Amino acid sequence: MKDRTHSGWLFVVPAALVLGFVGLIPLITVVNYSFFEIFILDSRFWIGTEWYADIIGSERFWASFGRSTLFSSVILTVQIPLGIAIALCIPRNKLWVGISLAVVALPLLVPWNMIPSLWLSLLNPENGILGRLLPVLGWPSGWKGSIPHTWAVLVVMDVWHWTSLVVILCYSALTTIPSSHYQAAAIDGAGPWQVFRFIQLPQLYHVLLMAILLRFMDSFMIYTEAFPINAGGPGGATMFLAVDLGEEIKAFNYGPSAARSVIYFLIILIVSWSFTKAQSKLDEKQPE
Amino acid sequence: MMKSSRAFGALKLIGLLTFVGFIALPLIQMTVISFVATLAHPDAEVGTMTLRNYRAIWTDPNLRAAFINSIAYVLINICITVPVAIPAAYAFSRMSFVGDKHLFLAFIAFRITPPVVLTLPIFQLFSTLGIVNSVFGIALAHCLFNLPISIWILQGFISAIPKEMDETAFLDGYSRPRFIWKILLPQIAPGIAVTAFFCFMFSWVEVVFARILSTTNGKPISMALSALFGFQTDIGLVMAVTAASMIPGAVLLFAMRGHLSRGFKIGKV
Repeated sequence: MKDRTHSGWLFVVPAALVLGFVGLIPLITVVNYSFFEIFILDSRFWIGTEWYADIIGSERFWASFGRSTLFSSVILTVQIPLGIAIALCIPRNKLWVGISLAVVALPLLVPWNMIPSLWLSLLNPENGILGRLLPVLGWPSGWKGSIPHTWAVLVVMDVWHWTSLVVILCYSALTTIPSSHYQAAAIDGAGPWQVFRFIQLPQLYHVLLMAILLRFMDSFMIYTEAFPINAGGPGGATMFLAVDLGEEIKAFNYGPSAARSVIYFLIILIVSWSFTKAQSKLDEKQPE
Repeated sequence: MMKSSRAFGALKLIGLLTFVGFIALPLIQMTVISFVATLAHPDAEVGTMTLRNYRAIWTDPNLRAAFINSIAYVLINICITVPVAIPAAYAFSRMSFVGDKHLFLAFIAFRITPPVVLTLPIFQLFSTLGIVNSVFGIALAHCLFNLPISIWILQGFISAIPKEMDETAFLDGYSRPRFIWKILLPQIAPGIAVTAFFCFMFSWVEVVFARILSTTNGKPISMALSALFGFQTDIGLVMAVTAASMIPGAVLLFAMRGHLSRGFKIGKV
């Protein structure tokens, strides 16, 4: 049981202040801008919810929303099962655990703006490893003109970049299973699938929820890595929500970009709210 | 029975090795190119093997400064994040207070807010305060995602410590802050190391805040890399800088390998 004491607030005040400064104040500023037409910051006039109406009413927004949703769904469908599978494959031997985890985590150390560059040079037909190998398997040399191929590159790149995080999270949850559980399962003659289904998976629920939240949001709002691969093309087929916002900011459209930011933040709030709901559901189901 | 479990073990090994191969592929490509001269230089013809790309990191003052800037802002970020996160993590782990769930929701929301949503106001706020184009600005901005993650990791480590330890200490006359400082901190030392490592990892590679907060000065490695792209890009040099930028992280990763997986034990919030 936790202590019921309001002095808890004193302990979180420093963190709340820092996040208030770098999170809440900027957010309020954005909300404020979103109701104005702004040419330069000193001259602006109130236009109410016009930007919101524009964005919500535009086909472009919903097209990007659809693409981002599809991208996130694909990413989650690939990364979560793959992450669990790899976490299960990591050997129990202490030395190899460390080495496997360290190697698997390497992609997390690459500067984000270099990730597309790495993959583009890998796909370079002159000297890239995949670029020379793939055409033999029927990969077209003009893949940038093809929507499925561009999407495939983006998905594989993101799987490369982020599956490691899912692996680390899942592995850390798996280590909390006491070995007596496994022994009991062995005595009962449980096969690998039953061990996974009834012993390992339940232990993973909490961590998976967090992994899904992080991976969903980060892929839903993919920005830095997505654009350089094919400049949002072909024909805008890889223009995602955050890429749209980035373009708007680059053009110094303060009002519309602020309104867009607010809409995105509302999506974020809904997602985090459902996350905490799901978490308390889990807590009810499995009291510690 | 024995035989099938051995076959299953082999299957797992193959699975792991395939994944490791997939992870390694772009990194091998990067390493190979980083040793090749990709532009004509007086001392190396195009296509020859050379160490000059790595030498250039040391001799080019911009690149050298970029490494120093990156290290500086990451260290400042850790120095802000960790001391602020420890009491908060303790509170979330041990105490229940009005609004704790909502506050946690707010923290989570800020962690998953993509930097691009807040770039504009953060730039304005920071330029009013005169902390743009400095490593301090980047360090502060990165608290947006590092602080919630740190609280979460530390909270897991603190929850792993039996509550009896707190109670015994209180009976011995310790106040909460003194208990945290004297007893809890030594206990969660590995947790602090893991937290600092994850702060380093997420902050070192971030580019959106780093870009807008270092337009004229204080460029970190990622921005120095962007600056290398141009009409004639020396891709060998780009890859060498990327590879070199991964070395500090790789060293830390290897040093932390035993603790890495212990950071995310989820407790109830």
